[in-house]
Amino acid sequence: MITFENISKVYRPDIHALSGVSLHIRPGEFVSVVGASGSGKSTLAKLLFAEERPTSGTVKVGDWDITKIHHSEVPHLRRQIGVVFQDFKLLPQMTAYENVAFALQVAGAPGSRIREVVPQVMKIVGLGEKLNRFPRQLSGGEQQRVSIARALVHRPKIMLADEPTGNLDAVTAQEILSLLKKINEFGTTVVLVTHDRDIVNALHRRVITLQDGRIAGDAEHGKYHI
Amino acid sequence: MQSIFRTIRFAFQGIARNFWLSVVTTSVCFLTLVTVNAVIILNVIAIASIHSVEDRVHVDVYLKSGTTPAMESSIRGYLTGLDPVKEVILIPADDALKDFKARHSNDPDVLAALDEIGENPLGDALRVSAKSPKDFPFILQAVNTPEFSPHIKETGQTNYDDVVASLTNLNTKVRNGGTGLAIFFAVIAILMVYNTVRVAVYVHRDEIAVMRLVGAQGWFISAPFLLEAVIFSAVATGLMAGLIFFLLKIWEPFIRIFFTGVNLDLLSFYTHNGLPLFALQFCALAVLGMASSAAALRKYSKI
Repeated sequence: MITFENISKVYRPDIHALSGVSLHIRPGEFVSVVGASGSGKSTLAKLLFAEERPTSGTVKVGDWDITKIHHSEVPHLRRQIGVVFQDFKLLPQMTAYENVAFALQVAGAPGSRIREVVPQVMKIVGLGEKLNRFPRQLSGGEQQRVSIARALVHRPKIMLADEPTGNLDAVTAQEILSLLKKINEFGTTVVLVTHDRDIVNALHRRVITLQDGRIAGDAEHGKYHI
Repeated sequence: MQSIFRTIRFAFQGIARNFWLSVVTTSVCFLTLVTVNAVIILNVIAIASIHSVEDRVHVDVYLKSGTTPAMESSIRGYLTGLDPVKEVILIPADDALKDFKARHSNDPDVLAALDEIGENPLGDALRVSAKSPKDFPFILQAVNTPEFSPHIKETGQTNYDDVVASLTNLNTKVRNGGTGLAIFFAVIAILMVYNTVRVAVYVHRDEIAVMRLVGAQGWFISAPFLLEAVIFSAVATGLMAGLIFFLLKIWEPFIRIFFTGVNLDLLSFYTHNGLPLFALQFCALAVLGMASSAAALRKYSKI
């Protein structure tokens, strides 16, 4: 599903964010990518949704070599990879419904599909009753759920969650984790980038550990070891 | 189709969110058009004035006293038949003498000679108007034939060359100065649109980031900003057209009085040429605005 082949990323003048990283993620897997700050986790995530290009090496999604992806193809890639961030990246002037609908609108989806899909997805994330709330009227956990709903509307094959629980308390973080597991059970490959020890240990899934831009560990039912 | 409607909606949202900046940008676009139209109006006035002066230029062919009506008719027919001749009017002898005296008012010898004679030595005169002032030398040469010259006492041309030259010169200067001013305002308009889009990109930075995140195409992100430039241009052109017609309706009678003798109808000019003129102004402004927006987008957003 996702293949990183000997990936290196160097930021000028001489910051080696990733060095010779190779890994393979199978379809339907739930993988946690862990590591301390500056270990290269976020760079790895950015390479996956073509926010950054590697200095060398190849990143493949399916048979698609996204390191050679044309500028105009990036939007198509991003519709196949739902991305969730620590800071939610919701638009404050839009309601929860509008934030989710926005992802379909910018992709040119017809209004009828938006009206059909958005309430369904909002129901999946447990916000079926809060469609018309603005982000400021929602808790952190609820905002993250809206963000997940927005990532889900394109029915992506991959869900990339970059520190999704970073701004949340432990209980809410577990709720978000449960939601990600539920999404994974529907067949979506989930890549969770985090440095939250409790979350990773509670998962009992594959854990890839990054240290100084290199893979320091890759365990099928791993724990957080740094 | 849905995307087009959404693009239009996002463009209007952008304008509403930066309302005052949009007003200022539209105002500068409007000022550019004011300058352009001032140049156009001055050009129309100058051309009408030049035509008016040119229309008054004529050649008087003074016939000798005693020229027979048949010969008069023959000369008149000959002149009328010449291609460059627009019109030939017969001036009676008395009127011809008055014109002759007026023409030679600065020549005491001629006036003294006329007094010496004591009677009107001139016959009738033929006032010849040409289609173009450039044709007068040809007409003067054409009338000087062995057949007619014995019956012609003198030919005289009103000399408006200096006036026409001055007007043409003034018109060129006004046009050049106005064009320079229009370019100056156009450059300011470009910079204003550039700055407006730069601010708009900043204001919309979160929205743009989210658009990119959820897979919006580059054109979908750029289109509202480009459309904003088109809307600024359309509003500025609409205001300009409205103002022009409003002012001309009110001022037309005063303009006619002020330019008495000049065949000038600015309202009619804009009624007949307004659509292509304003369409051209709108297109030019919109193209400049979109180019400016595209440059700002390229620099300030990673689309």
